[in-house]
Amino acid sequence: MAEAQSRPEGSTALLWTSITVVYAAIMLFPIFWMASMMVKPNDAMFARPTQFLFVPTLEHFSYVLEHGFHWYLLTSFLLCTVSTALVVIIGTPAAYAFARFEMRAKDDLFLFILASRMAPPVCLVIPFYLIFAKVGLLDTFLGLTLAYMTFNLSFYIWVLRSFCRDLPVELEEAAALEGWSKPQIFRRVVFPLLRNGIVATAVLCFIFAWNEFLFAFMLGGRAVQTLPVSIPKLITSQGVRWGEMAVVGMTALLPVLAVVFVLQRHIVRGLTLGAVKG
Amino acid sequence: MASASDTITPAEGVIRAPRERLWYPYLLIAPSMIMLVVVSLVPFLYTIYLSFHAAKFGRVTDFVGFDNYAVLLTDPRFWNSIGVAATFVLIAVPVEFMLGLAGALVLNQNVRGRSLLVPLLFMPTMMAPIVVGLLWKIMLAGSWGFFSYNVLERFNLLEGTSVFASPEYALYALIFVDIWQWTPFMMLAFFAGLQALPTGPYRAAAVDGASPLQMFFHITLPMMTPLLAVIGLLRFIDAFKVFDTIYILTGGGPGIATETPSILANKMTFEFWNIGEASALAVLVWLAFFAFCNVFYQVAKKRLNAF
Repeated sequence: MAEAQSRPEGSTALLWTSITVVYAAIMLFPIFWMASMMVKPNDAMFARPTQFLFVPTLEHFSYVLEHGFHWYLLTSFLLCTVSTALVVIIGTPAAYAFARFEMRAKDDLFLFILASRMAPPVCLVIPFYLIFAKVGLLDTFLGLTLAYMTFNLSFYIWVLRSFCRDLPVELEEAAALEGWSKPQIFRRVVFPLLRNGIVATAVLCFIFAWNEFLFAFMLGGRAVQTLPVSIPKLITSQGVRWGEMAVVGMTALLPVLAVVFVLQRHIVRGLTLGAVKG
Repeated sequence: MASASDTITPAEGVIRAPRERLWYPYLLIAPSMIMLVVVSLVPFLYTIYLSFHAAKFGRVTDFVGFDNYAVLLTDPRFWNSIGVAATFVLIAVPVEFMLGLAGALVLNQNVRGRSLLVPLLFMPTMMAPIVVGLLWKIMLAGSWGFFSYNVLERFNLLEGTSVFASPEYALYALIFVDIWQWTPFMMLAFFAGLQALPTGPYRAAAVDGASPLQMFFHITLPMMTPLLAVIGLLRFIDAFKVFDTIYILTGGGPGIATETPSILANKMTFEFWNIGEASALAVLVWLAFFAFCNVFYQVAKKRLNAF
């Protein structure tokens, strides 16, 4: 802001930067702590007073691998990839249409999309469970893919529409004057310009699916078990396996870590449903 | 492609354009709308149907009119859950709001290395809620949790037991976790808003010798109001449906001390198998959300020129 520009930069920059760094360090400390628990032996973990130094162990990793948690990782990855791909394929044309064309009852349709995004998952899980039980979709890959459409397809259309509206309409008009057909305009003019928006929104959809717990827990859980669902299963009858939970938790965190760095500004736009341009 | 324009005569274009305009957008939205009707509208209508029927243990039987609603609305447990959710939201969201705004103002100063700090700050918001729950289960675990041993026990706040098992404090612990998780979202959304403000008014105010505090109250705040309202509203809506973190940290307990409508609906369905009453609860929650969602849309559209 203007006030900062009029002052000598160095000293205030140091002050504000250190405040932010200290704040970030405190806020992220629990994550570091959990990361350390991946290699912390059990006796050191429960020590009073808190033990900071310990001989690292790989026992938690071997337990996790022995109990097939890498399959849950694979399930999570496949499920998120497939459902996100489906969202992109059917959602992209819809987002474009909502941004560019006049339609009857457009506002109502649009509000319906927002409502499906905002609907509390606990309300949806009841009918889903009963319907899926009837048609044999319970605990299937397809069932969960469909369930993820409620929040991800609506989210994708809503946010991508805001990216579409940022594109200059003149390019499309010029192409139309050239006699290009509408599908051609979409493929050759709109799509290349929209690519970054599509990737950013799709990656957010992937993360939402990756983080999703309730549907995966209630509608899946045996044949189709995702990584978040496997975490509570480490609360066993012989006690809670904390180290193993830390391993699974950190694994679930890795894609998120990658995504926050890659997406940066787009995250704000996505999480505010396009209300803030980021 | 330029050659294509030669083959189309103007007359053809005029006739074809309106017809094309008529069905083309509907074709584009059709797959999505059909999908959303199947996964969103049908479940909603089915829930309404269920809420008017006796449905226990997965078997839907007689039409009972408004009985499920009557039972629900006279159930003290329902009103308890409303109270819990209200306490949760009315403490968590304002605190997140104030901390987020303060953080955004700090971040908006000449902070170096933002491209590294901003993504890191986003971590709590972007990580799986179930992992957030796990994280704080570890930090606040009974006698050995880092935070519970080094802070809570040291200052004699709570000894030996997990704070999540305390009927008095469990809800506040959940609020604390929510604040940890969502303050970054508020902060970075507000920061994005501050970055988008025009610098002109600040220059003019500096010339007039305005203090930073005056600038904040007379320039920043008025210009930020629509954005603050929209973000606050969005967070308010989301905070009402928090499920995952509460589920893994307390499961609504001890007793019903942290039982929100979300947790209660889930228990009614999958523990008591009282699907009729759970559906009635779901319908009420759903209707409340439609109202919220409409307000959010109108405010964001009119005040923020979004959408």
